[in-house]
Amino acid sequence: MATFGSFALIIALALAAYNLLAGAVALRLLATGQPAPISPERLADTARRAGIAGFVAISGAAFALIWSVFTNDFSITYIMEHSNRALPGMYKFSALWSGQEGSLLLWAWLLGIYGFVLRLTHKRDVTLYAYAGAILAAVQVFFLAILNFAAPPFALFRGAIPEDGNGLNPLLQYPEMVIHPPMLYLGYVGFCIPFCFALGALMMRYPGEKWIRITRVWTMVTWLFLTCGIFLGMHWAYAVLGWGGYWGWDPVENASFMPWLTGTAFLHSVMMQEKKGMMKSWNVWLIFTTFLLTLLGTLLTRAGLVSSVHAFAQSSIGTWFVIFMGIVLAVCIFTYIYQRSHLKSEHRVESLVSRESSFLFNNLVLLAACFVILWGTLFPVLSEYVVGNKVTMGAPWYNTVAIPIGLFLLLLTGVGPLLPWRSTSMKSIRRNFILPVAVLWGTVIICLAFGVRPWKDGAFDSGDFYALVAFSLSTSVLSAILSEFVRGAGVISKQTGRNFFTAVWLLTRRNTRRYGGYIIHIGVVIVVVGLAGAAFNKNVESEMALHDKMVIGTYTLENVGFTQDSNLNYNSEFAQLDVYKDGKKLFQMTPEKRVYLASQQPQTMVAIHSVPGWDLYIVYEGTNASTGQPIIKAFLNPLVSWIWAGVVILVFGTFVALFPSLLPSTAALRVPARSAPVEPALTGGAQ
Amino acid sequence: MTQHKSASGRFGYFAKGAQALALAVAVCFSIGATDASSRYNNLNHRLMCTCGCAEILGECNHVGCQSSGQELAELNAFIADNKSDEDIFTAFSGKYGATVLAAPTTKGFDLVAWVAPFAVFAAAMLGTVLLIRRWSEGKAQAAAGPSDPSTDALREKIRRETDAGDDGGY
Amino acid sequence: MTPTLGLICGALLLIGTFVYTFWPENVFASQRVKTRLDYLLERKEQLYENLRDLSFEHRAGKYPEEDFLNQRALLENETAQLLAEIETLQQA
Repeated sequence: MATFGSFALIIALALAAYNLLAGAVALRLLATGQPAPISPERLADTARRAGIAGFVAISGAAFALIWSVFTNDFSITYIMEHSNRALPGMYKFSALWSGQEGSLLLWAWLLGIYGFVLRLTHKRDVTLYAYAGAILAAVQVFFLAILNFAAPPFALFRGAIPEDGNGLNPLLQYPEMVIHPPMLYLGYVGFCIPFCFALGALMMRYPGEKWIRITRVWTMVTWLFLTCGIFLGMHWAYAVLGWGGYWGWDPVENASFMPWLTGTAFLHSVMMQEKKGMMKSWNVWLIFTTFLLTLLGTLLTRAGLVSSVHAFAQSSIGTWFVIFMGIVLAVCIFTYIYQRSHLKSEHRVESLVSRESSFLFNNLVLLAACFVILWGTLFPVLSEYVVGNKVTMGAPWYNTVAIPIGLFLLLLTGVGPLLPWRSTSMKSIRRNFILPVAVLWGTVIICLAFGVRPWKDGAFDSGDFYALVAFSLSTSVLSAILSEFVRGAGVISKQTGRNFFTAVWLLTRRNTRRYGGYIIHIGVVIVVVGLAGAAFNKNVESEMALHDKMVIGTYTLENVGFTQDSNLNYNSEFAQLDVYKDGKKLFQMTPEKRVYLASQQPQTMVAIHSVPGWDLYIVYEGTNASTGQPIIKAFLNPLVSWIWAGVVILVFGTFVALFPSLLPSTAALRVPARSAPVEPALTGGAQ
Repeated sequence: MTQHKSASGRFGYFAKGAQALALAVAVCFSIGATDASSRYNNLNHRLMCTCGCAEILGECNHVGCQSSGQELAELNAFIADNKSDEDIFTAFSGKYGATVLAAPTTKGFDLVAWVAPFAVFAAAMLGTVLLIRRWSEGKAQAAAGPSDPSTDALREKIRRETDAGDDGGY
Repeated sequence: MTPTLGLICGALLLIGTFVYTFWPENVFASQRVKTRLDYLLERKEQLYENLRDLSFEHRAGKYPEEDFLNQRALLENETAQLLAEIETLQQA
């Protein structure tokens, strides 16, 4: 299989290179109208077909690697290092992304899948898709070149082939880890597609803003994958790492969060371009930046530039990424300068207090958050370079800097939809803001009454302060969003005579993008409430002999057993803890610690009991070497389940927004066959 | 040390002002911890475990971790000795290096880490506000000018096709 | 799978992808050049959408009457200019 896999990778590289070259030549011929021995359309079509064939070839390579894992082919170094015979079947798939070579293959494969769909649906706008396809082929050439020359996944093991492999990293042996990395990669890799469309549209001087509508589904689906990937990662960290939290500001987490922030900014600001013909240059650079950030993220974690718990072994591929990023940046800058006259805005923001400016500020805050994270990730490198002193940028720094920015963003989430387009009068502001402001202050009073007070014993408590602001803003934003639904449904109800709930349904279908967006915002608000709950986390740690008790919050835990188990894959130790509340036994929890046989690495299996108000989170920390008794750490984490619930709402909202709206269309909008071209440079460009 | 001095020297008054602000923020954020256990909890979340796990000291949960136990014991001893936060951090960074602190200090080049994000954010906000103000100059009364009578019929058509009476409702 | 079988499979893959890519197909998609009229019609669709939104938000109580009338006049003037150009192009 190693031979077939390597062969398939070479074929995929050759096809991607042909796609790029033939595509570029065909587009040049089409743009300049030069005579050629072959019709440019025919040449462009062979380029497109090469892209589709390339997908088949890269799929063959991915299949070869998966086949090798399942057949325990330890003659392949990668399989020997990342799998073993006793590894359960489900986790054998995980071997595809557990090491550098495999994860790059996954990257290239997913790129191939996206490219396959793009090239199949080319009839929607043949020229634009041809440009996007050729640019995508350039990115594919890069990844396939790395796979062929720098990080070959099918390299053979030198020396005697071992009986068994080293096994999969225990951290990956968790059900979510079979979904989380592909999801994250789908999001990460997917941003390449809107990038290709944006660059292609700029190169060909695409007339109008319809390319945004064409790429909207791509951008939203990609964003959805990245969002799900990030939150699945959070949930995995929470359930597996056993430190009671879900976000540690690790460079790899940051690397996935940065393109998410710029991608979110892009999703918002393209609406301005589509509706008003504004912010064209800004949008182009937002998507360029997003794609570059996905490459930078890979560089940061793969090249060993910054230390991370996720980082794979350091290797020479960092240089490849630096060079490729340089080329991408140069192409972006050149195209932008060459075609910037095409990006003139048709309108400008007319007032500081308008929906347009709220979009602008929302973008600014998202970019500021992205800068903060980039700064935090790179400052240790900068500090070492400038003053020779490497520092740690840990959670205390990020929390101090990022939380105020995040809360400001939340505020804008509520303010934006309430502002009218163009400009607004004081009367309008008063009319639209009375309810959210009243709800805000009402929540402040209620929170203070229930003990969420930023000053305790005369001292300032930052955690409670931020929680107070987060809760108040959340209810206020929620009231603003709900009032949008209520007012809109009221109009429809009056017009059609339908009941309120039908009217809400009709309202959402009328403009799925806007109301789907509002549902996403509701999800974000719920997530923020869940995050704010962390200010009230409690934890207790103690050694527990048989029938010892531990009290946390309103729960009492009693150790009723401490036992061991083993199977072919791992040995485990776990404690059996009866949980009581008000003297009544509720349930039993069994936190566990495993030691995987192949890798000899330990792994925590946290026991979590989740209710809407809080999570009871129990970690088996191991045994005291001198007494042999288990050490148990218990956490009471308020509102964590709100985070996951918020994500579900967010995903639902995205699906709603992906549905086509039922806006009235006019028959007069049909395109007639005859008329003059838009502008001479329409099909020219810097290909 | 020389490098630190030259770094802070370059920023002059701005750096001093920002340092004072950052210190005030840091003080604000640290005065919450009053009793020994909450102080212990607060401080162990501002230090890193040095075993290479890249985790906060108070959250490191490796079985048999060689570093966290010792560091926590040292922290307890310092708290029992009534040492100030700054003394504790100095002692830790002297022994384990500056990377043991979970966040940079507010001295010398480290201050840049704290100031830059807020400075960039403030500059971007200010820049945008000024830009929008410039754009909106003369458009403060964004009123519709007198409409061209020759397009009256077109406007009538537009109204018909987009108003509530037709299909503009929903 | 032996290396020889791997090579044979690889060769089959190579032949398959080559044939698919260069198969002499005469039917392929092409596109006429987008015209200014196409572009204006797209803009018209968008401006109509903006007007409908404005009208809807007004009825939902988000705009005071004077703000609404002013915004509507601005948008209608812009759309009227566009429609005038469309009519000219369509008559040409």
